[in-house]
Amino acid sequence: MNFTLHIWRQECAHAKGHFETYQIDNISPDCSFLEMLDILNDQLITRSTLNSQLSTTLNSQLSTLNSPITHPVCFDNDCREGICGMCGLYINGRPHGNDDGITTCQLHMRKFHDGDDIWIEPWRAKPFPVIRDLVVDRSALDKIIQAGGYISTTTGGVPDANTIPIPKQDADMAMDAASCIGCGACVAACKNASAMLFVGAKVSHLALLPQGKVEAAERAKKMVCKMDELGFGSCTNTYACEAECPKLIKRQNISRLNRQWIEALFGRDGK
Amino acid sequence: MNLDSKIPSGPLAEKWTNYKASQKLVNPANKRKLDIIVVGTGLAGASAAASLGAMGFHVDIFCIQDSPRRAHSIAAQGGINAAKNYQNDGDSVERLFRDTIKGGDYRAREANVYRLAEVSGAIIDQCVAQGVPFARDYGGLLDNRSFGGAQVSRTFYAKGQTGQQLLLGAYGALSREIARGTVKLHTRCEMMDLVVVEGRARGIIVRNLVTGDLERYAAHAVVLATGGYGNLYYLSTNAMNSNGSAAWVCHRKGAAFANPCYVQIHPTCIPVHGDYQSKLTLMSESLRNDGRIWVPKKKEDAEAIRAGKLKANDIPEENRDYYLERRYPAFGNLVPRDVASRAAKERCDAGYGVGTGYAVYLDFADAIQRLGKEAVEQRYGNLFQMYQKITDENPYETPMMIYPAIHYTMGGLWVDYELQTTIPGLFAAGEANFSDHGANRLGASALMQGLADGYFVLPYTMQNYLADQIYVGKISATTPEFDAAEEAVRVRLNRLLQIGAQATLNSHLSTLNSVDHFHKALGKIMWEYCGMARNTESLNKAKALVKDLEEEFWKSVFIPGTANEFNPELEKACRLEDYFELAQLVIDDAMHREESCGGHFRTEHQTQDGETLRDDEHFMYVAAWEYQGHGQPETMEKEPLVYEHIKISNRNYK
Amino acid sequence: MNLPKIHSISKKILVGALGAFLSFFLLFHASANLLILRPDGGEWYNAFCHFMGTYVIVKILEIGLFGALLLHAVLAIWLAITNKMARPKGYHKPQRSKTHAGSKLQVWTGILIFVCLIMHFTDFYFVKIGWVKGKYMVQTEELMKVKATQPEAVSYAEQKGELSAKGTWLANFDKEDKVALEAAGLEVEPDFYHQAREKFKILHIVISYLVFFVVVWFHLRHGFAAIFQTFGLYNYKYGKAIEVLGQIYTWVVCLMFTAVVLLVYFGL
Repeated sequence: MNFTLHIWRQECAHAKGHFETYQIDNISPDCSFLEMLDILNDQLITRSTLNSQLSTTLNSQLSTLNSPITHPVCFDNDCREGICGMCGLYINGRPHGNDDGITTCQLHMRKFHDGDDIWIEPWRAKPFPVIRDLVVDRSALDKIIQAGGYISTTTGGVPDANTIPIPKQDADMAMDAASCIGCGACVAACKNASAMLFVGAKVSHLALLPQGKVEAAERAKKMVCKMDELGFGSCTNTYACEAECPKLIKRQNISRLNRQWIEALFGRDGK
Repeated sequence: MNLDSKIPSGPLAEKWTNYKASQKLVNPANKRKLDIIVVGTGLAGASAAASLGAMGFHVDIFCIQDSPRRAHSIAAQGGINAAKNYQNDGDSVERLFRDTIKGGDYRAREANVYRLAEVSGAIIDQCVAQGVPFARDYGGLLDNRSFGGAQVSRTFYAKGQTGQQLLLGAYGALSREIARGTVKLHTRCEMMDLVVVEGRARGIIVRNLVTGDLERYAAHAVVLATGGYGNLYYLSTNAMNSNGSAAWVCHRKGAAFANPCYVQIHPTCIPVHGDYQSKLTLMSESLRNDGRIWVPKKKEDAEAIRAGKLKANDIPEENRDYYLERRYPAFGNLVPRDVASRAAKERCDAGYGVGTGYAVYLDFADAIQRLGKEAVEQRYGNLFQMYQKITDENPYETPMMIYPAIHYTMGGLWVDYELQTTIPGLFAAGEANFSDHGANRLGASALMQGLADGYFVLPYTMQNYLADQIYVGKISATTPEFDAAEEAVRVRLNRLLQIGAQATLNSHLSTLNSVDHFHKALGKIMWEYCGMARNTESLNKAKALVKDLEEEFWKSVFIPGTANEFNPELEKACRLEDYFELAQLVIDDAMHREESCGGHFRTEHQTQDGETLRDDEHFMYVAAWEYQGHGQPETMEKEPLVYEHIKISNRNYK
Repeated sequence: MNLPKIHSISKKILVGALGAFLSFFLLFHASANLLILRPDGGEWYNAFCHFMGTYVIVKILEIGLFGALLLHAVLAIWLAITNKMARPKGYHKPQRSKTHAGSKLQVWTGILIFVCLIMHFTDFYFVKIGWVKGKYMVQTEELMKVKATQPEAVSYAEQKGELSAKGTWLANFDKEDKVALEAAGLEVEPDFYHQAREKFKILHIVISYLVFFVVVWFHLRHGFAAIFQTFGLYNYKYGKAIEVLGQIYTWVVCLMFTAVVLLVYFGL
């Protein structure tokens, strides 16, 4: 299969980016999207050596060897099986590309048509500044978790695991919410760049369990305040997050977050 | 080299209790004055940092990804073992200990494994308190499943995402400590060197992966929790960024490396489908419960399938070779991981492979006929779905294709009972150390070990070391040792970047290649000649090929960009440079171990039915290797394994 | 409850609460409109309008309604602006995710509703304030009271006006009539019954109202379900039911409005 790629290139955080167009040929339909980018990068590296060969024979300047244009396309990736949450590209108008319930690394080229134009952009949101090309800084999501997305326990001194029975239904719902991989697709998809599904998933996961209920309202308050502070937008119930979540996390979790928020406002600990 | 394992005296079951009762502690006021560096944020690293931070130590934690939650512990599917005996099926600490020792083919240290089994229950308590949503039964109590190598159900699980949930639990605890200010998080930082001052680990040099800056961090102790080196084989179930470099730079600085040849190969992975492939995806081993493994009986059929002229379903029953059922009639498709893996390789090497030639069929047609499609869907639905997503083939209609792949490395930095390496002040935890799994790791034990080390072992044993360190005062990062280490890293990076430039000057450019090109080549060599089955001949060949490849690398690798920017190619090049040395050591270790045990299979040493043949008389020891400089053969010292408690027998699952 | 500032979710909850209040008002408004369909010369409808125009508590509520409308709009626009700021650099490719279309249109349908409201007010509400002219009526009871003192005015009124079914109202006066009657010291009220019946006979007004109702339909359809989501009431158990309920509510309100306009236009 052959494709025309339009890739966002940006040398560093402060540089002005632009789209660069690349032609890539003979891609197997079984190839994954990231492997296709690997192939492109390999070609860019080899091509840049050829370029430099030309330039060195002309004026023996080594500096052209490392001209930014020849630098391979930077993109985040790690586990390549859809669980680490490291990869995330905005492909033809959809985070993680044109399929449901997958991450970018689980997208295969057979999902495209031969000769397609593919536009690849980084996640766009104020709290996700671009580091280079398609790599963005998502540490804002960590900061939200640090604001309270945990149960306050210290090692040791906890009761036996079976001391508190948890209804299977609650445990299952908590598990569904907890399957968030923190990739940021919800933020990327949201027209408001809101992290409500991310926050909602964590708040729900912990609020559904008796261990997490203790701090539930307080947790919701702290995490939402942090989210606002970091410059994420707010939810306008568009549910693009739900549509694009690679782990199919439901918007019911946002609803539960709202409920916790109201509880925090009016509840006993609502100061 | 001092290989004192520091195993406490006394009966096995009381060793850990005795140790804790008599070890040195640090008082709360002094904890604040002690700095600890933790490298890696997986299960072991995150749990250690969280626990140490909560105790009051000042911790700096580092990871190469953009968030601690990306560590590859997150990909573990199956579950975590613990001797809780919730199922009342006769489980106990003793039994978990015995299973683990036996599973490791009698190549693990008794005291360490016993301690692991002992703290396993507390891990589950800890995780539940953190909000890990383990599977539960309808009564609301914790559910268990059974796993390979055990006769009891002791595996706790959270769907097929146990590793993820445990890591998120530890990540939560870590985040809490970060918020409290006891732990400082450094993301997108790669450890480039260990700084040793007066024989003690006193700090690290890291490269900020965003800016390329080299930074120094000083501390009273360093914990390495950087995982295994499975990516040495390029194609593995490890994540792309998993690497062995942090452990390797410590090895260069004097930490002994133990049992590097013990690598685990998982039999049921989705096979390689092309040269461009970057990693392999694991399919749960449970598939072998109902699937039947086969290849065509006739070579011409296999060839026709590979050429796309025939489909699996075109091969009539009588022309199918159910080789596992044929070779191991008693166990059939349920032979242990290593046996199943080797048998698949044997068939494919003989030319009977399907797909690209390196795959065998895992057929559910019989199971569907016997149980009905619905029952099969109930058991394996999500796995089938995952398979279909990746391969675009419907496993309900055509047989799945599977092939073994590198999965886990039992070898790692040598550590004593306190998890301290041969460099005082340098500790290693999780997959990065060698301690608990012997020559083979049982399923659902890696998570257990990582968390045991981080939550319940290091927070105790490190105090024993740190108690003396309160007199040292703050460690300075401006000493000549730090200067030298940083300079060495700078030289190293420049040297790598210069290769392409040099080649340009000498104008043999047509041969310039990317880092991945060499990594793939190295992986192929290692997989082919030092993979599932090894022998003197193949190892010799591997050694020569690796050496040639390394020379080629230093002549013609091209790394674009500079050291002062975000440059993934440079990161990969550094890791590959270390892999070349590591590969040599793996080969040397495999060569010297003239026996077969667990994940290490020497074709010269096997029983008549192709099982591993141990040589307890000569090889019941841990091989600890000491670095002697680049290109120099490493020296090996033995730590004998003494089994006082357990009776040694053949590892027999029949 | 003294938060230092209004957080995003609180803002949302306020917008939702005000929206809920406004949509209840719509149901109320739409139901009242049905009275126009009674061929009673405005007997009931104008009695209702009289009540609404004179009762003190209703007057207070009216201020609340306008306040709610304004606050609803201001908060929503404020949110929309901060939300835009959360993505300073947008995507090159337009978004192709499957989403609820209503939400993306919500701000725009809201603004459209404001424009339509100006039209609506010009047609009706401003008549009451006296900013524009329209149809007027007097209570026959009032008329009788002044019969002795102002016989010309009364006979003028009886001649020009139309009597409602039970004779409570003398209605369908024009602006000039209003001046004359007021000169006679009569209390003149706007006659929305005849006003509506006149306006909804004009094709372009009918069409613009139909457009108005479509816009309201879009706004309500998303808004109603969103209220439940924002209040944290949307869950696995009732989620679907709430969505269906929202749909029904939206259709009922909009169909009631539409029915009145169309039935009047076609003279049924």
